[in-house]
Amino acid sequence: MTHIDDTAVVERPATVAEAAELLRDSDGPLLFRGAGTKQGWAGRPVDPAVVVDTSGLSRVLSHEPADMTVAVGAGMPLRDLQELLREQGQWLALDPASEGSGATVGGLLATGDSGPRRLRYGALRDLVIGITVVLPDGIVARGGGKVIKNVAGYDLPKLLYGSLGTLGLVAEVVLRLHPVPSASGTAIVAVPADRATELALRLRASALEPAAVDWTDADGGTLAVRFEGTPAGVEGRRATALELLGAGAGWSTGPDEDAVWSRLADAERQAGEGSTVAAAGTRPSVTADVAHELEQAGAAAGVRTMLTSRPALGLHTARFDGDPEAVGLAVAAWRERVLALGGSVLLRDRPAAVDAHVDPLGPSPSSVGLLRSLARRLDPQGRCAPGRLGSWLPTPAPGEDLPRS
Amino acid sequence: MTAYTEEYRGLVAWTGGGEVTTAFRREVAALVGEGGLISEPAQLRTYECDGLTGYRVVPALVVLPATTEEAAAVVRLCARDRIPFVARGAGTGLSGGALPVADGVVIGLARMRSVLSVDVADQRAVVQPGVTNAGISAAVAQHDLYFAPDPSSQVVCTIGGNVAENSGGAHCLKYGFTTNHVLALTFVTPDGDVVTLGGDAPDQVGPDLRAVVLGSEGTLGIVTEVTVRLLRRPEAVRTLVADFPDAEAAGNAVSDIVAAGIVPAAVEMLDELAIQACEKAVQAGYTLGCQAALVVELDGVAVEVDEEFAQVQAICRRNGTTNLRVADDAQERARIWKGRKAAFAAMGRISPDYFVQDGVIPRTKLGSTLTRIREMSDAAGLRVANVFHAGDGNLHPLVLYNGAVAGEAERAEHLATAIVELCVEQGGSITGEHGVGSDKACSMTAMFGPDDLTVMARVRAAFDPQGICNPGKVLPTPRLCGERPGPYRPHPLEAAGLIERM
Ligand SMILES: Cc1cc2nc3c(=O)[nH]c(=O)nc-3n(C[C@H](O)[C@H](O)[C@H](O)COP(=O)(O)OP(=O)(O)OC[C@H]3O[C@@H](n4cnc5c(N)ncnc54)[C@H](O)[C@@H]3O)c2cc1C
Repeated sequence: MTHIDDTAVVERPATVAEAAELLRDSDGPLLFRGAGTKQGWAGRPVDPAVVVDTSGLSRVLSHEPADMTVAVGAGMPLRDLQELLREQGQWLALDPASEGSGATVGGLLATGDSGPRRLRYGALRDLVIGITVVLPDGIVARGGGKVIKNVAGYDLPKLLYGSLGTLGLVAEVVLRLHPVPSASGTAIVAVPADRATELALRLRASALEPAAVDWTDADGGTLAVRFEGTPAGVEGRRATALELLGAGAGWSTGPDEDAVWSRLADAERQAGEGSTVAAAGTRPSVTADVAHELEQAGAAAGVRTMLTSRPALGLHTARFDGDPEAVGLAVAAWRERVLALGGSVLLRDRPAAVDAHVDPLGPSPSSVGLLRSLARRLDPQGRCAPGRLGSWLPTPAPGEDLPRS
Repeated sequence: MTAYTEEYRGLVAWTGGGEVTTAFRREVAALVGEGGLISEPAQLRTYECDGLTGYRVVPALVVLPATTEEAAAVVRLCARDRIPFVARGAGTGLSGGALPVADGVVIGLARMRSVLSVDVADQRAVVQPGVTNAGISAAVAQHDLYFAPDPSSQVVCTIGGNVAENSGGAHCLKYGFTTNHVLALTFVTPDGDVVTLGGDAPDQVGPDLRAVVLGSEGTLGIVTEVTVRLLRRPEAVRTLVADFPDAEAAGNAVSDIVAAGIVPAAVEMLDELAIQACEKAVQAGYTLGCQAALVVELDGVAVEVDEEFAQVQAICRRNGTTNLRVADDAQERARIWKGRKAAFAAMGRISPDYFVQDGVIPRTKLGSTLTRIREMSDAAGLRVANVFHAGDGNLHPLVLYNGAVAGEAERAEHLATAIVELCVEQGGSITGEHGVGSDKACSMTAMFGPDDLTVMARVRAAFDPQGICNPGKVLPTPRLCGERPGPYRPHPLEAAGLIERM
């Protein structure tokens, strides 16, 4: 199916073979799109000649409930997949905030997005066991397999994790599933960043095995800690958990508990029209510093900021609201301090005007040479979302191949 | 259809490299000192093979760098002269991954064995590649932490080797493999550049280059530092052995455990022959004559483990278990594991020779695959013992034979290959944890098509355009495929009783 967007041809292949033909027979920049929830992440790609929409590749290819594996087309929305799996008491152990916006499995893999329960189950990189990719020259390659244990060949499924559409089209994904836990309970306590960080580390060091630990700076700071397992297992941890969290800690289950987590997801997801969102990753123990640095950077630039953190993982999502130039300065200042703490900051959604004042990716890593030679081998003409990785992966001139590192 | 594309043939073609000359040796010696150099023929021979002893090649030179900088400098010399090099840890690999290249250099990481730092709060440690797997856990045990991947060679094998093989162990069913427990690598590219892959944060921006190096079997570069993730020791551990009248019943019990929403820390199965061998060797209390014994271990939060452990016992009874043995204390649990882990090495008690395989099948095909293996074994007139990771379908069929009987080794080898191919047919894999190496490179075509292999060759060429980094491993060499390994002989360390095979 083809239709013309404002600027580009939008193609919606219905099979992997169709996708391969489309890539092989087209020229110019390509943009892969699932639900389109993260097209604003990282650098801005040049205008594509062809947008490849994966919504036609959204079928369940095979589901083996007893083996706890599923193979799906990349365009399958996570939400729909979860609904299907729930009938068997299973789920893909991934709960990103963007699930609610229709994010697809392929897009989630390509962006490396995750949610609170990454703490217990890992990220999509830990759950993906097989992949079908289509490279810009139309070659279709499978990597990994259909079994959860497999070390044959290079781990292509994980290579595509976080690739942001720059190496090739993720067309099919094979995933490991988990049983839906029979019970869940969440402890909540109002604490500022320092205390939240300390508590998160103590929780990790305890035998309580929390499934998720999230903190938001809203209303002076709230820490939510989720426990999953059997009803007795969850109930059995309640007293110890509340004691560890200290005075004022509360406990919720059922709809109340769901409300806690959807509020947190909203805080992470719902950026207003003009908001700028940036994601940072650090060691868990510096979470409080990350929060303080954000406050300071925001205050110095006269920009309002908001933070949600996973202090047991070291993942942080910050929101900036204000004049684009001031926002740019605030993000740049925050990044500088996060880098000094050993972390990194990636720009997500933001108004175009912010780009003039802050680099979307930050300084290139020491491995940038390998990244370039990999792109050169898999996408020699640099057709896959050129510009997405900014200066890390320079856009070749038309008719040229990517430069050697 | 041919197994290879023209592009593939071009990418993996070896067009010849330089030679290890006296001058080259002098240059290397200047970098690492005489103590870091091995060139005496007798000493070089200690490096001629890894745990797959059927393949042997004596290298031209062995270099033992003491630092990342030394390793990088040696690699730069190799790159300059196009001399192939092979990284080596403890040499316990079972697929010939560390097999030297004739006239090439072996870069041994054994001298780099310091735990550089332990970050207790963030539950991670930075270690050099020559630190043993068990050494990491020992270094952090005082903090109630441990490194989760637990290959049974863990007392000897190195973290560098674990990273290269993406090694697993009995407990990876619940906790994952090495790739799930490595945060960052210091990595020497085949040009001799030193880069960091991964980092402090759970993810880096851009494609996951760290993940593609994990499990790349030393073909993309040399790992000189590893930042590992550590886990908190679980509050409770419970272990049982359940005997079943046949593998089908044991397999059904495993399926029921999984269907009940229980994720055990480990589920292992031993068949009659395996039990017989291990009882002869270590008397771990398994029931002789039992057709299929399951070892099930649960760990985690105490209340939950107790609850689910009762459920597991009920499931075993429902599936007709003839004997349930519950470990009441740590000592009894250790005994059960000792028996399980000794099973491989114990094969020597019931057969002069054996081949070990490492195929994977979807767990639900366990019963039918074991039946097929039995039929194949009957048809070949050879015994096959089974002892394996039942939870994730990673089979380790042991094909028993007597090398002294003319033709038996060939028949055994044939059967072993047929079993691996059966695994692929069932939707599985040629290797679950031992790696492809030299041994299974030719079987890669059973699992991957020409285009899949082409893309893998492109990935390799991106890291190593000259093709000097562990050439001939993982990806099949069209010219060589068809050649087969020699018979399995116990690894010297295993024979000495230092390590056990799982
Ligand atoms: C008795 C026995 C039991 C075993 N049990 C298990 C088991 O339960 N689970 C399991 O997964 N494996 C098992 N193995 C296999 C083996 O122990 C593992 O593959 C182990 O990770 C190899 O480590 P090593 O240090 O011996 O590596 P080596 O054998 O020296 O090398 C293995 C591969 O890694 C590469 N390599 C080594 N160091 C580096 C480095 N620093 N940088 C880059 N590449 C490097 C080599 O080139 C080679 O390709 C067993 C082996 C034996 C002999």
